[in-house]
Amino acid sequence: MEVTYKINRKDPENGGESGYATYQVDLPEDATVLDGLQKIRDEQDDSLAFRASCCQGTCGECAVRINYKAQFTCTTRIGDVTKKAPEVQLDPVRNISVIKDLVFDMDAFTWDKMAAVKPWMEPDEEFAPTENIVSEKDMADVRKTMSCYQCGLCDEGCAVLPVNFDFLGPGAMVKSYRFVMDPRESGAQMDARMKVVEQPQGLWDCVHCYEADGKCPRGLTPSTKIMEIRDVSFKEGIKNEKVGRHHASFINSVKQTGWLDERKLVMETEGLTNVAGLMKLLPTAVRAMRRGKMPGRHEKRPGADQIKRIIEKAEESK
Amino acid sequence: MPQFDVLVIGGGASGLRAAIAAKRAGASVAVLSKVHPLRTNSALSPGGLNAPLGSDDSAEKFAQDIRSAGDGLCDTEAVNILAADAAREVIWLERVGVPFNRDAEGRIDRRALGSSSVQRAAYADDRTGHMVLHVLHEQFQREDIPCFSEWFVTSLIQDGGACTGAVALGHRSGQLETFAAGAVVLATGGATQLYRPCTSAVGTTGDGLMLAYDLGVGLVDLEMVQFHPTVYSTDRTALVSEAALSEGAQLVNEAGDAVVDAAGLSRAELAAAVHKAGHNGGGPVSLDLRPVADLASRFPGALEVVKSMAGIDASQNPVPVQPVAHRPMGGIETNAAGETSVSGLYAVGECAHNGLNGAGRLPGNTLTEAVVFGKRVGEAAASHARSAGAKEAAGSAARDNERLAEITSGGSSGDTLGTIHRELGELMSANLGVTRTDAGLAEAQDKIRALQQRHAALRVNNKSRIYNYALAGHIELGNLLKLAEATALAARGRAESRGAHLRSDHPEKDDSNWKAHTVVRSQDGSPKLDTRPVSA
Amino acid sequence: MKYAFYPGCVAKGGCPELYSAAVKVAEKLDIELEEMTDVSCTGAGCMPTQLSDPINARTFAKAEQMGLPIMTICSTCQGVFSQANHRLQDPEYREEINREYLADEGLSYQGTTEVTHMLWVLFEDYGIEKLQSLIERPLNGLKVSPFYGCFIRRPGNIMVPTKEVGGRRTYLEDLTRILGAENVDISGKTKCCGFPILTANEEASLGMVSKHAGESKGNGADCMVTPCPLCHLNLDGNQPRAESQKGEKIDLPIIHLPQLVGLALGFDPDEMQLSRHIVSTKAVNDKIDMLT
Repeated sequence: MEVTYKINRKDPENGGESGYATYQVDLPEDATVLDGLQKIRDEQDDSLAFRASCCQGTCGECAVRINYKAQFTCTTRIGDVTKKAPEVQLDPVRNISVIKDLVFDMDAFTWDKMAAVKPWMEPDEEFAPTENIVSEKDMADVRKTMSCYQCGLCDEGCAVLPVNFDFLGPGAMVKSYRFVMDPRESGAQMDARMKVVEQPQGLWDCVHCYEADGKCPRGLTPSTKIMEIRDVSFKEGIKNEKVGRHHASFINSVKQTGWLDERKLVMETEGLTNVAGLMKLLPTAVRAMRRGKMPGRHEKRPGADQIKRIIEKAEESK
Repeated sequence: MPQFDVLVIGGGASGLRAAIAAKRAGASVAVLSKVHPLRTNSALSPGGLNAPLGSDDSAEKFAQDIRSAGDGLCDTEAVNILAADAAREVIWLERVGVPFNRDAEGRIDRRALGSSSVQRAAYADDRTGHMVLHVLHEQFQREDIPCFSEWFVTSLIQDGGACTGAVALGHRSGQLETFAAGAVVLATGGATQLYRPCTSAVGTTGDGLMLAYDLGVGLVDLEMVQFHPTVYSTDRTALVSEAALSEGAQLVNEAGDAVVDAAGLSRAELAAAVHKAGHNGGGPVSLDLRPVADLASRFPGALEVVKSMAGIDASQNPVPVQPVAHRPMGGIETNAAGETSVSGLYAVGECAHNGLNGAGRLPGNTLTEAVVFGKRVGEAAASHARSAGAKEAAGSAARDNERLAEITSGGSSGDTLGTIHRELGELMSANLGVTRTDAGLAEAQDKIRALQQRHAALRVNNKSRIYNYALAGHIELGNLLKLAEATALAARGRAESRGAHLRSDHPEKDDSNWKAHTVVRSQDGSPKLDTRPVSA
Repeated sequence: MKYAFYPGCVAKGGCPELYSAAVKVAEKLDIELEEMTDVSCTGAGCMPTQLSDPINARTFAKAEQMGLPIMTICSTCQGVFSQANHRLQDPEYREEINREYLADEGLSYQGTTEVTHMLWVLFEDYGIEKLQSLIERPLNGLKVSPFYGCFIRRPGNIMVPTKEVGGRRTYLEDLTRILGAENVDISGKTKCCGFPILTANEEASLGMVSKHAGESKGNGADCMVTPCPLCHLNLDGNQPRAESQKGEKIDLPIIHLPQLVGLALGFDPDEMQLSRHIVSTKAVNDKIDMLT
């Protein structure tokens, strides 16, 4: 069948020109998008750049956007694309600078971020005579997480990266999760691990918008995993001071009154002795007051005592 | 000029293990890899790593199984080293993070794989290669070793007989760079892209074999190419670990009747049996995974890849399979320490022939070989570099620069890299496939030479060197064609049937003449076949 | 038609205009609301699930006792509730929570409480034709950018669990159209507003405000409508700070979902308390005035 490929190209050498180029390719019905790309490079334009390695959905190298949806070219059937749209439009993934054509800066996009969570074990007994004794259930969970391709498709859908590229991103945090949830990590390592993942631009910079959960080709739910790391952080003690104050104030407010005292939350988050921080909030507070938006006196809810009892009990069961 | 004690070429399991070991031995190390380490072919190895961990097992039993699969061509030293070191290396992998499946006691579980006499393969679902590779890459990062990822090596530098570095093209920078080193380790993987179809990643083009060959190093037992018996293959391939056969899967014909009993067969025998069953009029052979207990948790990788590549739900339907070219046993001639005939040049893993695999690799040994010998060769290279001392590499990139310019001097011949590669792959599958004949091999030699001429006339239009995959592809195809010629020569020479090499015109094993390795060396620009005895 | 009404903290605190608009609109539509006053904050993602699941189970148990489904007017409340309720469908987990936390108060959650957002109520319970028939002031000419934010959409398997409710992906667009207004699409309509990282990374948070509000303004919208008061707090309340960070005026009014419905049902901007917003809603008020 005759297929039209519309490829977003960029030439890094001649002034970084970019734009769409169109190619007609004759492909068998069951061909993949990658088959067409290879054919175009082979027969029509040998300057076309795209990445691919295993060609069987195993390595994670060939992610691009196919008609706006980020996918692997090697597992996407051309027929599945053309039955929905007349053309196959290919763009590099979002949230990252492009080097040439469909080749983007994977170092900055994924590899450097992965490395930033210090993704390795430093076992106390590295050269022990026998293996760790752990349950199959625990290992099955670790394997599931470790099946991550490190393809970057979760980062591609991230809502934070477009406004803050320095954010670690969901992919790197899934990598961290793989260690956080591994029973073979010792307590001391866990402490260091949490410090690393709670670094600025890390765990607490996620907006938990759950975009990433729908993007993982292996169904690994990165957003949910980030929230699970946060649950661990709550247990171990939040390492990010400002976030720690915010969450402590939040919980305390609900514990004492049953609901959130927004005014107190804002001030306690900034830190009650942090004059500069509090002054910065002043214009917003003034604006809110003028509009009658400043919350009134914060009163205890009727069920507050029961709520307090429950929270205290749950806190004890850590 | 970047300068390191040890330069490792190739970022797969062998290369990463070698780099980690060399660094820990005190050397400065760098890895050059034409794809990112996590995208290397090691990720595709599903089954497991053999190690005699069980109380029912021993190094001796393991060694016996290796020799039996190797069908007379194993060199004893390499076999004994692997059998002795495997358990320690697998336990190290576990300690640094590989989430191996566990038995009821919480110890590393072992699954049956191929013709092993006991359940011996430690495994992580059926994604063992992926998990091992990822953990090795973790430890590699822990060692803070520089990684030149997406750098394509164009030549090795030889100075006073010794290898002292390499020249490589950075895909991203588009620049040629000379790397000086006290020792160079080739860990470039195999050359399964000789065949079409094949199970391996696009980068398995025998680059390392040709880098060594060009320095006069011998290539051993090239005719020994393992075909994997249970692969779905049309234009796409999806490999199912043959561990499935030990866990209840059946090889069936169209009527659903079992056609091959896999029990006790070596991989070569199994591949031959599947091949035969597929050609005896009973229709295509399929792998029926439905009898496997807990299929979804035992073989999640196979279910996924069969679904995505074949569009088949293997939990509901049998999967058509055929033997497909999988991994070579042959490679760069080394001793058990990974040393080649060139001082300072080492080779390890699938690109190397250290005598371990003989005429047939025991399934489950690929990854074990990568880590056991990766470690040893990394240490040997570090030690060599220490005694050789650091020096500036004498070579320059000028010759490579001219070569690249020549390739990209434009002008279309109407021919394409893809066409030549496809014709080569189909020729290799037909004439150097599961069974071979002298006439077929002679024909292959002629046709390979014709393809080489077409390749030599072919030019790449794109002159840019930034992510110029056609330029790299031109060199890779050149490597494959040279290797194909050497492989055909070796296969034609070995006038017997042994292990993975089945000659229908010489169906018997001939121990009196051929209990020996074939060795192909470059002589005056042509491959020359020699033999050498197997070392006891 | 009656609901256990769960307004959430923000509608009772920083966005009182949302509360009053929702109550007025419900009354006009004859939707009976019985407000839950003795229940807790959901935790809003700022409490670990270990703490928030028990207190949310308590809220669900209370509604179960009332024999009513819960209606929220906050996507964040809705999201946290839906996820908690999803986990509490596991009988073993639910029993543990009942035993450990609720039994002392004589409560027990059976897993039957439905939690739904006012936006969903209009389509799935009330009926959109019926709503249409009650429109007194079609918002003709008003250009509105629907902004869902995150929690009313994701995780998809929980927030849009079946094909039957697949419409949840377009309710906002459908609603603005039915109310007579014109849709002005923006690329980030289902993206995060930035509120959750206001503490950890203010710059990025405000960057999201500029991105969404700026795009909407650039596409010619008069205002944005959102079903979530936390989106409102950031998009409206922090718009002046986002403007100074970016050094660019945006000036886009942000309207709560019930306010927009209320305007079409004939309420005046004052009755919907648009005057309480930080960003002046003058552009909206002027258009409404012309329609009246």
